[in-house]
Amino acid sequence: MAQVLAPGSIVVADWHRCNESKQYFSKILHRKRRRHFGLLEFPVMPPHVPVDTIHYKVFISGKSGVGKTALAARLAGLNIPNVHYETTGIETTVVYWPVKLRESGRVLFFRLQLWDCGENALRRFDHLLPSCKEQVDAVLFLFSFTDRTSFDDLSNQIAKWTDTTEDRVVKLVVGTKFDLFMHCDVAERDVKVFQKTWSLPVLHIGGEVSDGFGDVAPLLNCLTEQLWHQDCVTAGSANYHLVQETV
Amino acid sequence: MFGSGQGVALSCCETEGGGKVAWRVFQDSVMLIAVSGGGRHGAGSSKEEEVHLQRLLENVWNCMVLVLGQDELTNMRNVERLKRDLRSCFSIIDQLLEDRQEGILGNLTHCTDSLIPPNTTVIQEAVDSFAKAADSEFGCLIVHGRIAAATEKWWRLAPQEVVLLSALVRTLSGSGSASCDYPVFLPQGSPTVAHRLLRFHLLPGADVCVLCGPTPSLHRAETELVGRFWSPLVETLRDCLAVGERCLPGSVSLRPDVLALLLINRETRRSVSCVRTSTNHPPCAPLLPSKARCWELLKLFYIFSIKHYFMQEETLCVTPEERAHKTNTEDFVHGFSHQPIHCYLVTEECKSYGLQTPQHQLFLLIPLSVPTFALRTVATQTLSDIVAATGLSPLM
Repeated sequence: MAQVLAPGSIVVADWHRCNESKQYFSKILHRKRRRHFGLLEFPVMPPHVPVDTIHYKVFISGKSGVGKTALAARLAGLNIPNVHYETTGIETTVVYWPVKLRESGRVLFFRLQLWDCGENALRRFDHLLPSCKEQVDAVLFLFSFTDRTSFDDLSNQIAKWTDTTEDRVVKLVVGTKFDLFMHCDVAERDVKVFQKTWSLPVLHIGGEVSDGFGDVAPLLNCLTEQLWHQDCVTAGSANYHLVQETV
Repeated sequence: MFGSGQGVALSCCETEGGGKVAWRVFQDSVMLIAVSGGGRHGAGSSKEEEVHLQRLLENVWNCMVLVLGQDELTNMRNVERLKRDLRSCFSIIDQLLEDRQEGILGNLTHCTDSLIPPNTTVIQEAVDSFAKAADSEFGCLIVHGRIAAATEKWWRLAPQEVVLLSALVRTLSGSGSASCDYPVFLPQGSPTVAHRLLRFHLLPGADVCVLCGPTPSLHRAETELVGRFWSPLVETLRDCLAVGERCLPGSVSLRPDVLALLLINRETRRSVSCVRTSTNHPPCAPLLPSKARCWELLKLFYIFSIKHYFMQEETLCVTPEERAHKTNTEDFVHGFSHQPIHCYLVTEECKSYGLQTPQHQLFLLIPLSVPTFALRTVATQTLSDIVAATGLSPLM
């Protein structure tokens, strides 16, 4: 397993706070709230500012009730359901996120399509999991800070994704409901130990939805960074093979 | 339960305060009980309330079947597990209970809320070819929660199913998700084998869905088909969205004295409805009821009319048990040898007029300022205006 990338080593961290990013972030806003895009829509930049959009498929994995749907809603700036309803099939959510690459200064729009599927539905219908795994680029493994069993189950969940074929899939661990520290069931120490053993990035989320991008930026930047890094590694090795062939 | 043991059917009961309890047993297995608090603002008489509750029971049962399948509900092995599984239907049931979205009457009428797009043929062709490309015969386009176009086979589903699927799509679409792959059981057509409902959120307010078998996968359908069929039609879709809650294209001009209307096509079981927002209302005239109140009045008048005068279409595919149940609710309609074709009602808030022809039923709300003797003309003219303007549309 590769070394965990230091946050901000590839993309500019906290770029959403910079003035120069305004023209990009304004494209994913509508009346100061996040804009909702239909499948036929995308952020449009003026013609003199060409920006590439790259598409990724991200699967959200985790026990029932851990907050998969809520995470997808939060990342997309949608209303977070205030009652828990079991998701009875696959629901996907699209998130656009502008990123500035550190080295080249190039700006990219990431189009992340988050795939969320209820655990019970996965168990009842066999066709759902293969559909979620089809051409997937990243998996977010979720656990809830208020539910110890969801944390203990992580290794099982991750083990399911370590086949050779899925080696190129980016993996990230996200702890939800971090704000409910009164009911916290998972100690910070345990999280650190976990992070060390698996060398996977562990992020946390929870609490009030902030007005800006503050609550989602760390997670989205980390995810996009990992995805971009993975792509570069893949492209690099492909080039390497090409070179070998020509020689 | 005591009654049925003695061979007596008791269908509902009522308290002095207007509270009401209604129940019904489905498939000899699950009894659903609905309780209403009575004191609802401006609710109609208890008869109206009862129609509401019975409809609600039927809809709730259908939506339980839709999500879980009939087998799960009738041969339950473990009650605790069923209770947990039933949570999956709560979001649609909540939608039925709250009845929040204005202008959606299908839950009550069991006719599909429709919207007539300005460019019917283009839209129809797109839906047909999109469904075909997705290996499906069942496809439909939903705009503002109402069906704007659907394949021939979609209309052959039982009316309750069409209404229920529209409700499901509204719930899914309301959550803001971009696409989904939902296993659904059709309460009439396929209560034990699940189909896949694929839904794609094309533009805010416009969703296309198909019912299909094992292929294509959601990923493939979305990446290969959605863009190919729908990207060229973005502007056409925007024109559909612009029709908005009026449900009728701009080519249909309504008389200024129509406050609200509900038009049902009795053959196709489709309906359009709208409430006008008054723009040039003379300030001295008596206050018109608010938009929300108009929707409520329209529903109440519909229930009043079908309860007392017009027969509601026998919903297709009712089981004999259900038919027996329906006859309990008969009213004096059956006491007459003739069939009323017009009815009206004047209340403190507005005047209402209903008429039925072999093909249509029309329900109108009209301001109090319009003299009662003119109502009939307003109604017949409105009907002929709409039919003339949309005559070629397969919807109405």
